[in-house]
Amino acid sequence: MKVRAGGLAVTAIAVAAVVSVGSASAKQAAACGTVTLNQQAWAGSEANTYVAKNVLQSIGCTVKITTIAEVPVYQAMADGKSDAVLEDWGHVPQQQQYVAKQKTVVDEGPNGVTGVIGWYIPTYLMQQHPEFKTWKGLKGKETLFKSPESGSQGMFLGGDPSYQQKDKTLIKALKLNFKFVSVGAEPAQVARWTQLYKQHKPVLFYWYDPQYLNAQYKLSQVQLPPRFKGCQDDETKGGNPAKYACAYPSYTLEKFFSAKFAKSGSPAVAVLKRWSWTNADQNVVAGMIAGQHMDPDKAAQKWIAANKATVNKWLGK
Amino acid sequence: MSVAQAAGPLAAPAPGAWWRGRTGAAILVAVAIVLAFFGWKNQLPWPGSLTWNSLSHDLDNFQAWLSNNRNVPHPSIVFRLFNWIASFLDNLVGWLTSFFFKLTWAGTTALGTLVVLRFGGRRAAAIVLTAFVSFAAMGVWDASMRTFALTFASVALSLLIGIPLGIWAGRSDRFQRVVTPVLDAMQIIPAFAYLMPIVILFSVGPGAAVATTLIYAIPPSIRITALGIRSVPTNTVEAAEALGATRLQTLLKVQLPLARRMLLLSVNQTILFALSMVVIAGLIGGQGLGAVVTSGLYSDPAQALVAGFAIVIMAIALDRATEAMANRTDPTHRHLTEGKRRRLHLFTASCVAAVGFAVGLGYALSAGSSWTRFTLQDWLLRQVQSVLNYVQNPGTVVFHVTSPIGNFLVQYGLSPLQSFFVETPWPAMTFGLAIIAYLISGPRPAVITFAMLALIGGITNEWTNAMETLSQVLVATVFTLLVGIPLGVWAAESLRARQAMRPVLDVLQTLPQLVYIIPFIYLMPVSIVPGILASVLYAAPVVIRLVEAGIREVSPHPVEAAGAFGATRLQLLLKVKIPMARDAIMLGVNQGIIMVLAVVVIAGLVGSGALGYDVAQGLQQSLFGQGVLASLAILALGIALDRVTQGRGRKRVEGVT
Repeated sequence: MKVRAGGLAVTAIAVAAVVSVGSASAKQAAACGTVTLNQQAWAGSEANTYVAKNVLQSIGCTVKITTIAEVPVYQAMADGKSDAVLEDWGHVPQQQQYVAKQKTVVDEGPNGVTGVIGWYIPTYLMQQHPEFKTWKGLKGKETLFKSPESGSQGMFLGGDPSYQQKDKTLIKALKLNFKFVSVGAEPAQVARWTQLYKQHKPVLFYWYDPQYLNAQYKLSQVQLPPRFKGCQDDETKGGNPAKYACAYPSYTLEKFFSAKFAKSGSPAVAVLKRWSWTNADQNVVAGMIAGQHMDPDKAAQKWIAANKATVNKWLGK
Repeated sequence: MSVAQAAGPLAAPAPGAWWRGRTGAAILVAVAIVLAFFGWKNQLPWPGSLTWNSLSHDLDNFQAWLSNNRNVPHPSIVFRLFNWIASFLDNLVGWLTSFFFKLTWAGTTALGTLVVLRFGGRRAAAIVLTAFVSFAAMGVWDASMRTFALTFASVALSLLIGIPLGIWAGRSDRFQRVVTPVLDAMQIIPAFAYLMPIVILFSVGPGAAVATTLIYAIPPSIRITALGIRSVPTNTVEAAEALGATRLQTLLKVQLPLARRMLLLSVNQTILFALSMVVIAGLIGGQGLGAVVTSGLYSDPAQALVAGFAIVIMAIALDRATEAMANRTDPTHRHLTEGKRRRLHLFTASCVAAVGFAVGLGYALSAGSSWTRFTLQDWLLRQVQSVLNYVQNPGTVVFHVTSPIGNFLVQYGLSPLQSFFVETPWPAMTFGLAIIAYLISGPRPAVITFAMLALIGGITNEWTNAMETLSQVLVATVFTLLVGIPLGVWAAESLRARQAMRPVLDVLQTLPQLVYIIPFIYLMPVSIVPGILASVLYAAPVVIRLVEAGIREVSPHPVEAAGAFGATRLQLLLKVKIPMARDAIMLGVNQGIIMVLAVVVIAGLVGSGALGYDVAQGLQQSLFGQGVLASLAILALGIALDRVTQGRGRKRVEGVT
């Protein structure tokens, strides 16, 4: 019994200590409070989130990070359970519904990063076959990309099912003899093409930038037909394939805030509104986190220390 | 009709007499389908005129309607009701989580270990202690406690809902008949399909995660409870009734106590099912280990693997702890004398004191919520990473063995089979499979099979994908049985084999597939194969366990009699035990198919494409209608396969999975 009472006494003291520490930090952070940022699966998103987190912490905000999938996060923002997404790759139906119609989510404009989607091949292959610079060079050479699952055709390695893509229709429209092979989620796709890359074999696949792996592997883009007026990108709408026969648009990646957060008057809102950086910045931080397995907070702090000017601009100094 | 009765008439007719004739006919039909394939290859895909095209769009509109009506300043009472439930669940999980954090690392570990020591014994307590220590050592203490809180709340609620419904299903045939297809649907329809409506109704966070987990974890608790109530011998129940016991008395004093072991099995299985939803829960703000897995998968696979193993350790610890407590607290084994009782009280008191001391110690040492200063995390991550690096290197010996095997399987097995199913004219496929179902299982299953195939083509608009998935499911099932049945027999015959297999099976059932399948993609770099492998690895444990249980439960009398006639061990096995365990083995086949179907979505994420890909894309690209319809196709495929394989004269035996 005595031991137990002792334990309780220690507990009580400790609780009191925790409470007092808590209130002290609360006083300091009173102006900002808690900000919840949502981090999405890809490494670039992790880089955004941790850099923003460390910057906000420097002005006394408490930052929580959620990891909700890309589409459900819109509902999370509508409910105010997540305050901000710092990089959205164009979820048009959600934007129509939550931003335009319900006004529960606010579009806060570009985050400075430009998303590029396209058809990529390893640079060594481009050097052997300079004709692959454009899609026309692929014509008649499809069988070079043969794989066990593509039969007599060449293999086109599709992207993660959650990413924007129209390659099936594009292949049809360009009359190329490729079989669209989906190998599933991004880690699975990466497993596949990096392995072929290491064996110096030919491979053609859906890929994008900014992506930290682009620093690790030398890749080249195959030019697709230029964009024309009325050219379509949403494959699920169907219709004549010819309407899709153009390159992907370049995506201006945008930030989205919960409407509640945007109206809250927290100093964090202004900082996140000004927050914007470049593809190169993001690749550096994402490379440290995913490529070198550095602790994301440490990676973010390292970048912040080296880029004082940019950070001060965000802080409005 | 109870399970016991249903199994009865099976033994009566000479087995095999009708079977041979009908099997022959069924094979003839199969040959006819193959001929149709060669005759009219690719000429008759499912006609667009027989398809309801607008359904997917209508479902999308429904979801938009739901969201628009929910996200207004003053939503209707129905939405507010969901809000209340969500915040209740959020608070429940939040309260549990902060409770564990307040106890500190030392306190939580002491509490868990001593509770198990007091009620379960030393062995189980040692396992639980190891689990707690390893969470801290792996550097995932916080995430583990969040997951534990989530699992605890989900399991408690599942049992609260499942056990009463299970009792009802055990006592009422009508209710059993109504509820069984609902439970099938809850288990087969992939969570990806209903994740978005759940998020709209419950928002994100632990509440939504619990709601999703409940859908998957309630079915086993209902099924096993019902099975337990039904397996109480009828004469015992009748005796109680003859003595004038009311229905309630019979239930409380006879049926429930006698079904005790089954009830505890249902607790145990509910825990394992709940843990298998942890990763999905991570996608909608469930936090904990699931979130570590989902976010690690893209940027840090080693971290995802470590979190995956933490889930497995939690599953094994919970499994062993509940099992030990079930055995220890069995009233038939407890004869407490006055002295023993006093000693137990003393022991309880000292446990309470020890927990209090540990909490104090925790605060004294770290003055914070957790205590994870000494972890092996960095070392562990480096080790896992080096294994991954080895696997990723296409220059290794292992790769030169595994890669050709993968290519061979695709070129000579999967690809031809896939084109057979996809390119055979649809009338040959639908009518042919229905006739086979008629020959093997009878008229009702034949009608259902036909209806399900028509539903796939006509309503879900997923004919081609469904046929592609079907070919993969068949291959995976064949491999599952080839692996599962012999291992099940071996486990039944040898105690040592059983003990050696058990932890392996536990790992396979609870380690998130997405985590361990990525290394396989490196080893067999060809789509489809890793998906098949994932299905086999997930489904085989269930088959092994069912076959093992079936053979071990063969009544000893015929075995002894055959032994007395001088049968060898092999003869005993082949001529007596396996034929007598036929029912359990068939149940294994049946459950094997269902488990394979449960992995279709995961398989889609690692390269199997087809229905699984459509479901995953449905959630992730907000093509809600497409996701729902593809899931319905998976369900329809499951029901059709179940009916084709159920056999004649055998009523559906409720599965214990």
